[in-house]
This record gives sequence, C-alpha cells and structure tokens, in this order.
Amino acid sequence: MPMKPRGAGKLDLAMKFHLSHLQGMLLFALLISIAFGFLSRRRPLDRVKYIAWSLLLFLLFGIGIGWAMYPFSR
Amino acid sequence: MRAAVHAQKEMTDETQMAAAPARDNRREVRAITFGVAGWMVPGLGHALQKMWGRAITFFAVVGVLVFVGAGMRGNLFNSDGGDAFATLGYLADLGTGSFYVLAKYIEVGGPDVSHAYGDYGTRFLAAAGVLNLLAALHAYEAARGRKA
Repeated sequence: MPMKPRGAGKLDLAMKFHLSHLQGMLLFALLISIAFGFLSRRRPLDRVKYIAWSLLLFLLFGIGIGWAMYPFSR
Repeated sequence: MRAAVHAQKEMTDETQMAAAPARDNRREVRAITFGVAGWMVPGLGHALQKMWGRAITFFAVVGVLVFVGAGMRGNLFNSDGGDAFATLGYLADLGTGSFYVLAKYIEVGGPDVSHAYGDYGTRFLAAAGVLNLLAALHAYEAARGRKA
C-alpha cells in the first residue's frame, strides 16, 4: 500500500516565497510601518506621514546595521 | 420646598452612583469581548467598534505576514517546545489567533530554516502574532474609552 506524502489532504498552495534579504526586509518594514501608522494615528495625513517616516527609519537602520556587520561577516 | 429639592437631588445622586459601577462592569465586559474577538480574528475587535480602516488594515497586514511567513517555510512553533525560546515563539505565534491554524494548513512541507528565507518566515510569523496582540489590546483600550 503506497504511503501518503506528508501534508496530503491539506491545502496545497504550492507557495514558496524565495525572497532575498533586501526583499524580505522591505516587505517586513512596509507592513509593520502601515500597521503602526494605523495603530497610532487617526487622521489620514498623519498616518501617511508616520508610515513614511517609520519606513524610512526601518530601512535606514536595517541597511546601516547590515553595513556595520559587513567587516565581521567572513 | 428647598429641603425637598435637596432630598430629591441627593436621591438622584445616590441612584447615579449605584448605577455607575454596573455601567462600568458592562463596559469592561464589552471591552474584553472586543479584545478577545480581535485576538481570535485579526481586525474583528475594531470592526465591532466600526473602526473600519483599522479593522481592514490589521486583517490584511496580519494575514499577509502569516501567508508569506508560512509560504517562506518559517518555523511555526508547537506547544511542546524544548526550551524557553521555543515557548516564547509559540506564544508569539499563538498571537495570530485563528490564523495560527491557517498557517499550519498552508505550511504543508513543514519548516525549513536552513535558508535565509525560512528564517525570515519565522520572524514574519512571530511579528504577525505580536502585532495582532497589540491590535487586540488597542481594541480593548478603545472600547474602554481610553484610546480612539
């Protein structure tokens, strides 16, 4: 009797998101910035400003820390 | 006449004072219900309070984080974690509420953290849980009238 493969019967969306470091960081920063903007501000304009500022800081710190770690990477 | 008015005012004040704790209790129960609803289904706590923008945003953001995190084969922790980090990871993942079950359903092949994207997936799943807990807490506080 043939064995069932692992996950058989489950929803097979065949999803494999092979994102690079930069793509992963960009997506993460964007989503979290949007959520923070909606969580902490009420007016649409304030939200847009907060999201833009938060995204900028995420990227700045992410890339900055990445560069700071470069000398120790090998 | 003045004494009668004074007595009536005192009675009204006492009635209001007696009614206040009951009203506070109702509000507290309502707030807890919204908080738990927001935890179980991301955005529901805000939707019940007609905060549509926040409701849709939290549902979409938590949903995308879980969907992508599971698709990247991130580590979705179980209750039988061997150490404190696994337990913390499980608690963070549980924060997504019903989406935890969805992530289990999506992640057919199990986790694979031997690649960078698998590791990213783990962070995405944990961030989705913590973010949803934050949103649920916000819904609770908004229902209590502390935040808008």
